[in-house]
Amino acid sequence: MSDADTPILIATNISKRFGHTQALDDVSVSFRPGEVHALMGENGAGKSTLGKVIAGLHAQNTGTVVLDGRELIPGSLDDAFQAGIRIVHQELAQCPNLSVAENLSLHDMPKKRFTVDFAEMERRAAKLVHQLDPNIDVTRPLGYLSPGRRQICQIAASLDQDESGKTQAKVIVFDEPTSSLSISEALVLMDITRELAAMGLTIIYVSHRMSEIFTCCDRVSVLRDGRFVATNVVRDIDEPTLVEQMLGRRITTPDAKHASSPIAEAIEETLADAGATHDSSAVDAKKIMLSVRNLRSPGKLRDISFDLHPGEILGVGGLVGAGRSELMDAIFGLDRLASGEILVDGEPVPAKHPQSAIDAGIGYVPEDRRNQGLFFNLGIDENILAPIMARLAKPMGIRSLDKELDAVESRVEKFQIKTASLRETTPGELSGGNQQKLLIARWMMKGTRVLLLDEPTRGIDIGTKTEVYKLINQAASEGDAILLVSSEMPELLALSDRILVMGEGQIKGELVGDEMTQTNILTLATSEEQHAGATSM
Amino acid sequence: MLVIIMMMGLLTVYGMFTDPIEQKTRIELDENAVVKLVDRDGNEHDRLARTQIAGYRVVLDGEVRNYSSKDIERYDSSARTLIEVKEVNRFLNKSNLVLIAKDASFFAIIAVGMTGVIILAGIDLSVGSIYGLSAIVGAMALQSLPADTGWIIAVPVALLVCMTVGTLCGLANGAMSVGLGVHPFVITLGMMAVLRGLTVVIPQELFATQSISGFPSSFTTGFFKAEFYGVYPVPVIIMILTAVVGWFVLAKTVFGRRVFAIGGNETAARYTGIPVGRVKVLVYTITGALCGLSACAYLGYYGAAETNAGNAYELQVIAATVIGGASLMGGRGTVIGAVLGAIIIQLINNTLIIFEVDTSYNQIVMGAAIIVAVVIDQTKQRIQAKRA
Repeated sequence: MSDADTPILIATNISKRFGHTQALDDVSVSFRPGEVHALMGENGAGKSTLGKVIAGLHAQNTGTVVLDGRELIPGSLDDAFQAGIRIVHQELAQCPNLSVAENLSLHDMPKKRFTVDFAEMERRAAKLVHQLDPNIDVTRPLGYLSPGRRQICQIAASLDQDESGKTQAKVIVFDEPTSSLSISEALVLMDITRELAAMGLTIIYVSHRMSEIFTCCDRVSVLRDGRFVATNVVRDIDEPTLVEQMLGRRITTPDAKHASSPIAEAIEETLADAGATHDSSAVDAKKIMLSVRNLRSPGKLRDISFDLHPGEILGVGGLVGAGRSELMDAIFGLDRLASGEILVDGEPVPAKHPQSAIDAGIGYVPEDRRNQGLFFNLGIDENILAPIMARLAKPMGIRSLDKELDAVESRVEKFQIKTASLRETTPGELSGGNQQKLLIARWMMKGTRVLLLDEPTRGIDIGTKTEVYKLINQAASEGDAILLVSSEMPELLALSDRILVMGEGQIKGELVGDEMTQTNILTLATSEEQHAGATSM
Repeated sequence: MLVIIMMMGLLTVYGMFTDPIEQKTRIELDENAVVKLVDRDGNEHDRLARTQIAGYRVVLDGEVRNYSSKDIERYDSSARTLIEVKEVNRFLNKSNLVLIAKDASFFAIIAVGMTGVIILAGIDLSVGSIYGLSAIVGAMALQSLPADTGWIIAVPVALLVCMTVGTLCGLANGAMSVGLGVHPFVITLGMMAVLRGLTVVIPQELFATQSISGFPSSFTTGFFKAEFYGVYPVPVIIMILTAVVGWFVLAKTVFGRRVFAIGGNETAARYTGIPVGRVKVLVYTITGALCGLSACAYLGYYGAAETNAGNAYELQVIAATVIGGASLMGGRGTVIGAVLGAIIIQLINNTLIIFEVDTSYNQIVMGAAIIVAVVIDQTKQRIQAKRA
């Protein structure tokens, strides 16, 4: 079938930069009609970015996307749409308050003189939606549907037809379509994916779920660090080979912790140079600093228990959506619905409120600097002091400017935060690295014994990263217990004494010593059933 | 701030180039005073033709005061009075400025609290109604006091009653919007109607009247409408004190900084252990209490409470904070700005009166002024952001 083997969509030499990050570096992939073609890779490998470049959501810096022999305008969603490319977003980009039918016709509402022709709108919507799931009532508000059905409606929206009833879409990009779905919903979605391919559509399936690739995809292209690795026919490849392609090396020795990744080597080197190499012997295994017992939260966390020793860095690995940030939130008292016990140094943390957690000695650097961390209307000093300003204050809650200045100055110096002024400068004027250091500095106060760090080096340059690693190690060597969430495998492996791997809101397994390898983390994280060695205490 | 300075400057200049107004002062002469008429050469006369008079010289117990004939409209020797006439700038004169400040003070006091609310990215539409209800309840308390009650009792009683009512209303606003998780716009919109209803119903049912008066004079002319140097400065003084305290709380206390932190990034505030709910409730409560304080000053100054007191104040108060540089998106605003904003609003009213514009035009000018002020402020912000 030479016809089916001729590519319909060819992406050639695509490069894309975001600030300092090279998201895509000279990537070329071609897609055939009627195939489900997976784009796979670790977090940050560039698979989502490639999908968005193809759909015209991002403009590539160099390279071309050619559909049916015509070159598309870079970054033009409109042009891609006209050409027949649709994208089904990772985040459900819809209006939950409007009916399914309205959502499906937002860009082109049928009119009857001056009013909307609801009957026509519903007829059209039903036609599209019912070919995927006949049980969806298109007149109901979209928000009332389950996430799976919402996803189906979004797919249906991409199957819009012209007057003659012909589907206009040729290529549909699925960006992590199952990330918010349950397993059974995901299975339904994969069936639909196959059906669409059978209709002759090309499906670009961006995912990191191993099982899905083997269930519903024909070919899989692997990306790593923004570079193209290989395109494989799924039938001819096995899981270990795929993992190997994602990680970029042969898995020969079981002890791969200190090897092979340039980032890991850089970390080790700079830490050694700075005389701050993390020394696992600093861990006081007899004492328990943080103890989490049967922590649950409806829909987020399933029965999580673990202990953290003084001086220990406990890594938490897993893929996006595994429940790692939710775990941190729950420990810090931000999840009102969470149940279970949290003990710091043997003392239970009384109330589910961040203030109790702070009083107990827990500090938390959340994942999203901009939205969860910084006050852009306040100066550097107040950003650092937010959690302890009350502690420093004079009676009646009057600020003690002298004490505040002391506390800020010492920390800005220790953390080498580069800022023009302590009071006048706002975080918006700092670089990403300095913003991150500021947030860590926020918790470097007397009494902090447990540090929760969620992606502490996300989006900062390598130089600042090593500074942050040094600070983390320093805190640990001073006896702090550190819980570290990171999606950067080399970083996680280099810093952690132990690693918990999370998936689907539970701990899938614990890795110590030689078991701490990228392969093991990825295998545990993508495993569907609960791992045998899971710490279900 | 910039806007306010610009507007004041504009009015001053405008005031200078328009016809000044004549201010007449009657100077009563002492019985023992001797008045001499002075001619152009400086010689004194008892009698002189009107065209020859260059000035008047008043001698009393050896003290000599000279008046130029230009300044004296008329000398009445039998009534022993001099009518002095001075041309003053329409805008820049003592009594006009105090009048503006006084009129502004009633809602400027509330604007101090509203600044906190706006910084929180909240809103309080019920301030006018809280003000009205506090005034009515306070008036009932004052009316029941004997007419010869000293200010030492009347003032604290009135303050206590008015501010208690205000505090409770504010607490209800805060507790409901935080506790029920409903946007404060909705809660305070409801409260605005409910409280205004109570303000009308209470005097109607109890006294079958629309206004309550008859307060001890020690409370009115003895305190809130006390006269100093020909002006009535007490409401203005209360406004200044409130503003100073408000500035101190927002800038210098942990509570104040928490208000800014929550308004700047509520999620981050939660992630740093700031008790977001408690701070919010407190800000609404304080705003309610300030409505009560303002209502008390109003009772003392006007000596009566009307059921429509504070009608549409919410708009003036919010406008004042916004003109003063507060952002409805939260995280930004100053007390001083809000007070100056209130003065600006009053200034506009006053200007229109001075220039004899029909009062019906006030609303048009006021509305336009608000939009212009905010646009200028935003532009300034954008330029600053670009420079940073």
